[in-house]
Amino acid sequence: MTTVHLNTSMGSITLELDRERAPRTVENFLNHVRNGHYNNTLFHRVINGFMIQGGGFEPGMRQKPTTKPIQNEAANGLKNDKYTIAMARTSDPHSATAQFFINVADNEFLNFTAPNTQNWGYCVFGRVTGGTEVVDRIKAVATMRYGMHQDVPDQEVVIETAEVASE
Amino acid sequence: MNATGELATVTLRDPVFISDLHLTGNQPRTVRRFVRLVEELGSQGHELVILGDLFEYWAGDEEAAEGIGAVVTGTLRSFTQAGTPVYVMHGNRDMLLGDGFAQATGAVFLADPCRTELGGVATLLAHGDAYCTLDTLYQAFRRRARDPLWQRLFLRSPLALRRALMGQVRRRSEAGKKRMAAQIMDVTPEAIEQALRSAGVHRMIHGHTHRPDRHRLDLDGQDAERWVLPDWEFDAEPRRGGYLRVTGRELAMVDLAV
Repeated sequence: MTTVHLNTSMGSITLELDRERAPRTVENFLNHVRNGHYNNTLFHRVINGFMIQGGGFEPGMRQKPTTKPIQNEAANGLKNDKYTIAMARTSDPHSATAQFFINVADNEFLNFTAPNTQNWGYCVFGRVTGGTEVVDRIKAVATMRYGMHQDVPDQEVVIETAEVASE
Repeated sequence: MNATGELATVTLRDPVFISDLHLTGNQPRTVRRFVRLVEELGSQGHELVILGDLFEYWAGDEEAAEGIGAVVTGTLRSFTQAGTPVYVMHGNRDMLLGDGFAQATGAVFLADPCRTELGGVATLLAHGDAYCTLDTLYQAFRRRARDPLWQRLFLRSPLALRRALMGQVRRRSEAGKKRMAAQIMDVTPEAIEQALRSAGVHRMIHGHTHRPDRHRLDLDGQDAERWVLPDWEFDAEPRRGGYLRVTGRELAMVDLAV
């Protein structure tokens, strides 16, 4: 079983990753964990009732350089249910790099339905197995507009460290 | 740009560029003028390239089924069925044009920005709103509204609610424009230069600002030019509207309001 801890300023979240159903996505995520990419990054976008997104900005909303995009494995049958983790991306289905989000509701409209731009969906590659109450606290924080960005927490929510707990 | 950071390219043969028609049901003359232009262009074999804001608003592809949405998509459909391509870039008013619209019309979406070649000259095509960088409030809105995740969330709500919300945004934006200095709503020269430089081109065509013109500029010691397409209005005075066409190596603006 592959598990990762996200130690945030609001508590620790344990993720169980599905290597079998989303092998490339999990490998990519683990690489980012191992090389320290997620250390000192933010949950920079919080929309209660929808999702909390992180892994791409440092405190002060400084965007981190992105890495090579990965193939979208959203057709793997995993659903964007509450407390699952999925990769964020641009409108290009195969553009996920480091940013991810945790669904805080059953977001069935994010699931893969067809292999085209509009319906490819978002690739789920794991789920929260510990610290759901931390996720619940993060989703409820107050948000604001910050320069070019909307839905930014008033008080920064920092992923202080991310570590692989078991493989 | 795509995921690997490369600029998308499109090959055009004999295009006509329009933008900012802001078509809506309560402006029937503007709609009729558009339909007439499409018919004329189709018979002449020109490709139609729409650089954003074809519609005043588009709350989702359900719009294609009724009213003005059905009229316009039907018009474009007969154009593409006759064998002439239609290319559509999303504007700030119709960024929710989706696969349903593409299927209903046969149109192909263009990335914003994208690169093409006109009369042998590499040219950047854009809607233009991305270069209005002084308007940070708008840029924040643009960023969210173009985010695919947010779009999915929005498209889940009922059509009537989406239309109402978009109406609110438009009214707020119109009110804001009255208070804002003119330069904030225009493109910033630095943003234009940066876009030309990173695309490696010396010509750009865009819309959005409703300030049709041909601007000449100096880009790192070389001549460059920027064409701004006109907005359309045939239901109120002053009437205006037109398109940009390519004749040989030259670009020329055609005024339809005279």
